[in-house]
Amino acid sequence: MPSDVDAVQLRGIGKRFPGVIANHDVDVTIRSGTVHALIGENGAGKSTLMKILYGVQKPDDGTITINGAEVVLKSPTEAIEVGVGMVFQHFMLADNLTVLENMVLGAEKLHGIGDQARAEIRRISDRFGFGLDPDVLVEKLGVAARQRLEIAKVLYRGARIIILDEPTAVLVPQEVEALFANLRELKDAGNSVLFISHKLDEVLAIADDITVMRRGTTVGTADPATATKRELAELMVGSELPSPETGESTVTETVELSLDDVTLADEFGRNLLTDISLTIHRGEVLGIAGVEGNGQAELVETIMGMRIPTSGRIRLGEVDVTHWHTRQLREAGIGYIPEDRHRHGLLLDAPLWENRILGHQTQAPSAKGMWINRKGARVDTERIVKEYDVRTPGIDTPSRALSGGNQQKLIVGREMSGDPVLLIASHPTRGVDVGAQSAIWDHIKRARKAGLAVLLISADLDELIGLSDTIQVILRGRFVGTFEPSTVTPQDLGSAMTGGEAA
Amino acid sequence: MSKLNLRAIGLALLAPAIAVVLSILVTTLVIAAVGSSPGEFWSTMFEMPKPRLRVDIVNQTAMIYIAAVAAAIGFRMGLFNIGLEGQYTIASFAAASFAGAAYLGGFANVAASIVVAMVVGAAWAGIAGILRTTRGVSEVISTIMLNAIAVTLVGYFLNRYGVKEGNTVHTANLEPSSTLGGFAPFEDRDGEIWALSIIAVIVGVGFWVLLNKTRFGFDLRASGQSESAALASGINPKRMILISMMLSGAVAGLIWLPALFGGARNYGTSFQVGLGFLGIAVALLGRNRPLGMLFGALLFAFLSVKSNDLTFGTDVSPSIVQITQGVAVLAVVVTYEVVRRLRTRLEQRTVSRELTGAKEVTA
Repeated sequence: MPSDVDAVQLRGIGKRFPGVIANHDVDVTIRSGTVHALIGENGAGKSTLMKILYGVQKPDDGTITINGAEVVLKSPTEAIEVGVGMVFQHFMLADNLTVLENMVLGAEKLHGIGDQARAEIRRISDRFGFGLDPDVLVEKLGVAARQRLEIAKVLYRGARIIILDEPTAVLVPQEVEALFANLRELKDAGNSVLFISHKLDEVLAIADDITVMRRGTTVGTADPATATKRELAELMVGSELPSPETGESTVTETVELSLDDVTLADEFGRNLLTDISLTIHRGEVLGIAGVEGNGQAELVETIMGMRIPTSGRIRLGEVDVTHWHTRQLREAGIGYIPEDRHRHGLLLDAPLWENRILGHQTQAPSAKGMWINRKGARVDTERIVKEYDVRTPGIDTPSRALSGGNQQKLIVGREMSGDPVLLIASHPTRGVDVGAQSAIWDHIKRARKAGLAVLLISADLDELIGLSDTIQVILRGRFVGTFEPSTVTPQDLGSAMTGGEAA
Repeated sequence: MSKLNLRAIGLALLAPAIAVVLSILVTTLVIAAVGSSPGEFWSTMFEMPKPRLRVDIVNQTAMIYIAAVAAAIGFRMGLFNIGLEGQYTIASFAAASFAGAAYLGGFANVAASIVVAMVVGAAWAGIAGILRTTRGVSEVISTIMLNAIAVTLVGYFLNRYGVKEGNTVHTANLEPSSTLGGFAPFEDRDGEIWALSIIAVIVGVGFWVLLNKTRFGFDLRASGQSESAALASGINPKRMILISMMLSGAVAGLIWLPALFGGARNYGTSFQVGLGFLGIAVALLGRNRPLGMLFGALLFAFLSVKSNDLTFGTDVSPSIVQITQGVAVLAVVVTYEVVRRLRTRLEQRTVSRELTGAKEVTA
């Protein structure tokens, strides 16, 4: 049923924020009844463009044409009225309500809240193979099912043009396949899908058309039938895609960190971590793979002394550090790159040089006895800014003003200072651009060669496989498999991560 | 760089300036609305104070400033110590009782009493700190309740052990050797600037050094800016809460001591209530900065002292200055947030401008 009129035409879209040009001269055409992929690095302006199309933000320039009619979208409500719906990366569902209740919430007028709505949900679910039961509580649903529910919500509200913001970021490979099957069904029914991603394999697998964004503007289109990953990557970054290969092994015999049967229970006595044992040698990178929320954060916080294990022992070198506080552990030479840099890694309103002190308050060059060593900290911040290529006007700039990649480079530089013996790196390259990513990889590789032990937690399987000497898979707080990075495939890891198979 | 600094100073002064203008405006409107003459009011208020009042203003500024610092210690790490009032009430009573008992003579008595005041203030605030760290009780609630308990407790002890004189009760008077002579800048009859007003200077400088130069100060500020980042950096949040609560209480204990050793000589009807709450307001007005709070304390002391003239010169109630003070605090909190956003925007613009200059230009 695809019509000849293009579903969406964006022409000359521009959007400026104070100090930043988020979009300029953006042109995108989505043909009716196709899956259109929008790709680009983090910070290329994809999200802003989506928000403009969904009415969350108003463009400063340009026009939006939907099904041949020019529209001005002032709010998501108006976007839904013209048939545009969006599924955000972070789901917006109420856990304690059922599928049906979540579905009708805010759309009660369409089909009521009773049997008529239930029938409509069944119809949508059966039509597209979503497998949704209207009366199940959302808290019982897995990530993939929640995502299907979000898509169903959009369809329920009558959307024919569906925006998906990095839908595969939260999925394991098998779930991605299932999602793609759903998307094909959607397409066959005449819907149009705008698929945002920066994973090129997936884009080539599903898209009918590809538009590439870089630095706030569209830099080209590609035909997935003929385009190669390399071509797309070059369009995206303007250069070659870096790879995280580690080269030869530098693993030594000396054990730097060992956990013996570490168990952590929450206040209700439920286990968050169960019998976790691991060893990391000097010069070794141990990667932890797992779907988010399976105990990775708790594992890191336990090792960092922010939680005390219920049982088991943690040793740093020969020393039992099970009951040590975070500060003692940091003083003993553990560097920590936290998962959420805004919440755990930075004082956003403090200047860079004060952020250099954070976490190293008691150590040279940040402190002298009970006093803060302002001069020492400033000199060392200058060093980090230079060595780690932190793009900033100066070290008195508040860290909030920096881009995510530059904030992360500052954190990596800080945590690598003072020659740590162990680095705990949680998603070290999440949300940073490709340039910063390869720089961070290089720093980790170099430190590993110099004998650093690294615990690497990442959702990026390529990063895990590329950097790690060994990979452990974590599922519901337990290690369920050990893999050799040189032989493992993302498919194998995906199976283990979802409990399909234990090695 | 100098241009940047000028802009930074300008932005820093913008919020208080708007707040003062706004509070003058609102006060004027209120006076006009009740049918009095705003012109008369302002000309009385802004008339040069008489020497006696000038001395008064300095003494009041000192006490309000100490209270503001006490509040700011908590505020800077995100703790709302609303209990300054109770802490300095009970600490003043303890210090006056101790000093009046004259276990020691002369300066030793004064020094020991200062220590007593700080310890009692810290202990009283520490109760709220312990409730917060062990039971999760919000310090806002517990300190407010502790205020009421402190006032009742002091009343009870005063009635029971105090010296009765006519129909008033007070603690034993200080020995003459323990009262401190002050500094009389004008005629003797205009009064003295109390000797212990110097505490305000010491507390102010100490606060600045503590915050900006010490590791403890860094931990305190980090805890205030981001609890989660502070935890990840190795700061023990419970220990920080307890220590800063007690430090705040210890400073609060000092609030009324200049008056005790300068003029009052006992804890009784001469005890000045309300300084704790004024301190909280001034800490907000001065954005918890040592210098900002000094101006705030001076402004509040000026308004409070000068409002005494209204009774004679005009038909406006002296209470009107409380409206001025209230609006100033409210306005500064709001305008500061607006200015903070403006500043963030300017900083981001500066960063992107300087960086695009360095990188190749995008088309």
